[in-house]
Amino acid sequence: MSIKRRQVLSGSAAGAVSLATGLASPAIAASEPIRIGFLPALTGASSSTGVAMNRGTILAVDEINAAGGVDGRKLELIVRDTQSDPTKAVNGVAELIHRQKVHVIWGPLNSGEALAATPLIARESMPQVHPCWVDTLIDVKKYPYAFRNAPSNQQIGVAANHYVVDVLKHKKVAVVSDTTGYGTASVEAYVPMLKEKGATVVYQGNVDAANPDLKPELLRMRDGGAEAIMPWSVNAGFLARICNTRGQMGWDVPIVGQTTLGSGQTKALLEKPEYWNKVYSNNFRNCCYGSNGKLPPRAAAFVEHLQKTKVEMGDTLLWWIACGYDAPHMIAETVKAAGSGPKDIVGYWNKLKAWPGIYGDITWTPEQHNGFPDDEVVMCEVNSFRDGAFNLAPGYGS
Amino acid sequence: MLESIVSYGLAVGAVYALIGITYNVMFSASRVFSFTAGMLGMLGGVLGALFITRLGLPVALGLIATVACGAIIGVITEFVAVRPVLKNLEQHLYVLSTLAFALLVQQFTAIEWGTDAQPFPRLFQIEDSLVDQKFWLPVVACVATIVGLEILYRHTLVGRAFLAISEDNYAARALGLPEQRLRIASFALAGVIGTLAGFTGGEVLLAFFGNQSILNFYGFVPVALGGMGSNRGAVVGGFALGLFQQAANFLVGGVFAAVAVFVVFIIILLARPEGLAGAVSARRV
Amino acid sequence: MKARPLAWLEGKRTFILLALAGAALPLMDDSYIGLIATRACIYWILVAGLNLVVGFAGQIAIGWVALLTLGAYTTAVLTAGTVLPVVHPFLALAISGAAGAMFGVVVGLPALRLRTFYFAMTTLGFATIVTQVALAWKGVTGGGIGVPGPVFPAPFDSGWGFYYFCFALAVVSTWMTANIAVSRFGRGLVAIRDAEVAGEASGVSKRSLLTTVFLFSGALAGVAGGLFASLQSYITPDAFTFDLSILFFIAILIGGRGSIVGPLLGTIILTVLPEFAAPLVAWSTFLYAALLLAIVLAMPGGIADLLDVKNRRPLERHREIVPRPEILPRLLGEERENEGLSLSNITLSFGGVRAIAGLDLEIRPGEVHGLIGPNGSGKTTTLNVISGYYAPQSGEVRLGKMALPPGAPQRRASFRIARTFQTPRVIGAESALDNVKTGGMIDGRASFAESLLTLPRHRRDEADLHERAMRALTAVGLEALADVRADRLQHSELRFLEIGRALMLRPACLLLDEPAAGLSAEEIRRLGTLIKAISRAGTAVLLVEHHADLIFDICDRVTVLNLGKVLAAGTPAEIRSHREVVSAYLGA
Repeated sequence: MSIKRRQVLSGSAAGAVSLATGLASPAIAASEPIRIGFLPALTGASSSTGVAMNRGTILAVDEINAAGGVDGRKLELIVRDTQSDPTKAVNGVAELIHRQKVHVIWGPLNSGEALAATPLIARESMPQVHPCWVDTLIDVKKYPYAFRNAPSNQQIGVAANHYVVDVLKHKKVAVVSDTTGYGTASVEAYVPMLKEKGATVVYQGNVDAANPDLKPELLRMRDGGAEAIMPWSVNAGFLARICNTRGQMGWDVPIVGQTTLGSGQTKALLEKPEYWNKVYSNNFRNCCYGSNGKLPPRAAAFVEHLQKTKVEMGDTLLWWIACGYDAPHMIAETVKAAGSGPKDIVGYWNKLKAWPGIYGDITWTPEQHNGFPDDEVVMCEVNSFRDGAFNLAPGYGS
Repeated sequence: MLESIVSYGLAVGAVYALIGITYNVMFSASRVFSFTAGMLGMLGGVLGALFITRLGLPVALGLIATVACGAIIGVITEFVAVRPVLKNLEQHLYVLSTLAFALLVQQFTAIEWGTDAQPFPRLFQIEDSLVDQKFWLPVVACVATIVGLEILYRHTLVGRAFLAISEDNYAARALGLPEQRLRIASFALAGVIGTLAGFTGGEVLLAFFGNQSILNFYGFVPVALGGMGSNRGAVVGGFALGLFQQAANFLVGGVFAAVAVFVVFIIILLARPEGLAGAVSARRV
Repeated sequence: MKARPLAWLEGKRTFILLALAGAALPLMDDSYIGLIATRACIYWILVAGLNLVVGFAGQIAIGWVALLTLGAYTTAVLTAGTVLPVVHPFLALAISGAAGAMFGVVVGLPALRLRTFYFAMTTLGFATIVTQVALAWKGVTGGGIGVPGPVFPAPFDSGWGFYYFCFALAVVSTWMTANIAVSRFGRGLVAIRDAEVAGEASGVSKRSLLTTVFLFSGALAGVAGGLFASLQSYITPDAFTFDLSILFFIAILIGGRGSIVGPLLGTIILTVLPEFAAPLVAWSTFLYAALLLAIVLAMPGGIADLLDVKNRRPLERHREIVPRPEILPRLLGEERENEGLSLSNITLSFGGVRAIAGLDLEIRPGEVHGLIGPNGSGKTTTLNVISGYYAPQSGEVRLGKMALPPGAPQRRASFRIARTFQTPRVIGAESALDNVKTGGMIDGRASFAESLLTLPRHRRDEADLHERAMRALTAVGLEALADVRADRLQHSELRFLEIGRALMLRPACLLLDEPAAGLSAEEIRRLGTLIKAISRAGTAVLLVEHHADLIFDICDRVTVLNLGKVLAAGTPAEIRSHREVVSAYLGA
């Protein structure tokens, strides 16, 4: 196993040598491992994403190393659990950069932690790739070394709003979120977008996810004449309560929103299975069953691979594992092609064109570090859940 | 809307009232305010889900197992966090020891059970009649507890001994009452009541480790306002708090409801530190 | 006493070592260590202030993260200039301190009215509310999205520069709180914690002292918040977890109450430990809780107790208390105006029971006045009326011509009325000398701020107090035990210690509540001589006692109470021959 929580000794020794010589001597660079600092939240309130991506990442690193690494250099994954706490993420960044001397940082995986970590990573000119959706986390001026291998909130919103307004033809919409950074940011970004599309936002609110009774909020939505509910939260309990309350009220509007709507945890908290009907969560074309009931070829092969290596996916989402799996592969390819210096990595990334991930094709330019293609962001039918993936929502028929 | 305020408000109110009674039962026997009251409520939900959903026990057995665990944890509390610090009650070390014990249990739950709210099983497989079972269950549990305590205190010898202890510890001991055993029994009883609160309120509050702090605070508000040791105060206060909270939730939204409850709590306490129905403080010199 | 040139260094070794280590830290050239050290400094700035509240005053403030949150948002929002015009980061930090001070009082004030657990709950409530408000008040705080933290101007903008900035502030906070700890304010706080009633009798005003300390501690927390925001680079409400609050609180208790160096080490340990014990990260709060439980149950003194080698040295087994009454005039002053104390027509009943029914009493300066009577005759109650713990329903207590305000025990010290207690009320965790110094609380002239900065007036106060306290200890015969913790003293020594503390007030009137209880015959004799000498130095002494011999030996006048009324009054000789008294309970 080359996955070590903290490999203090070898890490700092190598760092000390390169410091002492003043420049990285080629001999060392050729043999030293490629250290990837990984900042998932493996515990704490928002750990479901981290746990799933972690599975993919570990699998990928093991595979690459088993195949001999990158030109003989092993990948070394240095994991620091952020515990869903920004403070721990800040400490983790410092440790990864200064103590472990990593070459690149993958993560954090939650926006709350990334908001605190990204400026610090940028200050140290450390290449960073993260999948967090909050728009401000990518800014080529402020954070020239930060790249996103997932859609931005903007892209997610466009897709969801498009589905509600253009496909389902609903013009009166309720937008609700929990009170986390991700949730509030989403509501604030999407409401103007919806208005621009000609929809009326009849309800807009941030509700404490710990609030056990959401009926007041849903009544307000109904009284406002909402024709669709758009919830934005990664909190399964919160989303399940929205579905449950809608069901109890016997209210028949569609729920269109965050990807966690379709997670196994949300499903477990439903009072009745039918409360999951007419719920559409955002997802990604590459990880959805098409009208033929099959995944696209790349994802289908990946699922087969996962089954063979016994990676659990029934309790989580395929795209999380896929996204976690893609990152080390992309990093390995980058180092192979360009080297492991920060400038090398960023230089290569700035020209990355349609890098074929299982999760999606990533393209970055010096001006645009949001690399996920718009048209791969889709909506899916949550009650079609099987093996971590879903059917495309009605209307995407292709 | 009114119906929703009332049904939901009474349900959470009953849970608050039961947690308040849990505080009272422990306090009466030992003069100790214990942070473990909310913990017991939290455990009621988590253990219920563990026994019934995960281990597949029948509902009745699950309930018995849950309250039995509550009783055992109550007794452990007495041994670990209360008895050692009773000698010098005036140093208030119990605040620290019960806080530490409650935190230990909560963190253990968070790690072993998980930090996500998890579903609590539906107890009776019946179609909902007028009011859903998740709303009337806590209320029934609350009424049953009050009636049970009343019978215990007024009509049994053990219960009278409880009362004697809560009136005057020293005098009771002088009378030859087994003060220590009664205290252990009280903590066991508190364990039963606390877990019962969490169990019957499980469908509303879910099996969630975070319920501990919520219940600690909202269970304390009614007893603080009603006067420590007064079960009547706890019940009236609990239901009032539940209804107020839910009404505020409907009318002005969740955050403001929390702020409103807190502000009212502080103001009343500052005006009347002994609670609205409490007695004056004891002699100091 | 022998003068030792380096005496001031004693007990400061740990501080000096830590300061040197802190200053030399950048030599390690490891920015990760730098970050953790910066974090420890910032936490300590908060904990240093909170230590006065929790460790010294014994108030269970478990939700102090509320103030960190407030300080962080204040600094961040002001520097960002999203709401108001842009404020310079240093000014913003100062404003955060001021805001923290104000809010500190708001969070702390319930402590003046509420019992321990209630207060703990209100601070917990505040901690929740502040986060809720930060989430809801999106216009200012950015809600869940948060705001970027402030960046201080170079060279304090990042890395080691910022570390030195925080380190310097941490050193200053340590210095200031250590100054308070050894001042009369620090002793007053500990008195509030461990001997509240005795503190009141010595003139410790809980209200003003706690308010000041909440101001100060809130200010430090506000500043710590501003620095925290800068360190985090970006703040959202979820950075201010309740776990953080628990860390602050437990650091103090692990360190030991009433110590500065203990909580300092506690803070460092709790900040650093999870970083270097990776597999334990998820269990960190669990471990904090376990530590807290272990400390409370097994080692209530915390780290400070472990470091306190001095107080583990064995004491001499057979000690004798040899009072030296001859120095009393120097201690109490030579010429004193004193017209004595008088009670007229005092009545007081509890419920339906008459404890005192129309009592008249006159205690003259220079005399010992004995108050005797059977149990329940109202002796201690009379004492409590005089010292203000009970307000009588009618009647008046006068000192000379001044009527004393009924109730208000903490104002008796300013009338120079001192007392001792039936069960000695001393601060076990403090030295005999510090216990006695507590008695001189009201003679300090320096303000809290002057003590904070050890300005000259503070130093004069302390030098004066020290001299007088040593004199008082010598007078009661305990000078050899000056540095010994009071909880290691014998019962008889505590009785004399209480008298020593009372003498610090230079009392016009001294109330002694059964001072001979539990003393040997020889000790009672010495006590008698001491009490008599105190009275002869111009003090009006009221002696409540059961030892008839002592009463008749030293009293100039005796009043016998029965059922709250005067049964007899007169000289000892008159009382001895009073038929009713003799038949009732002198038993001759």
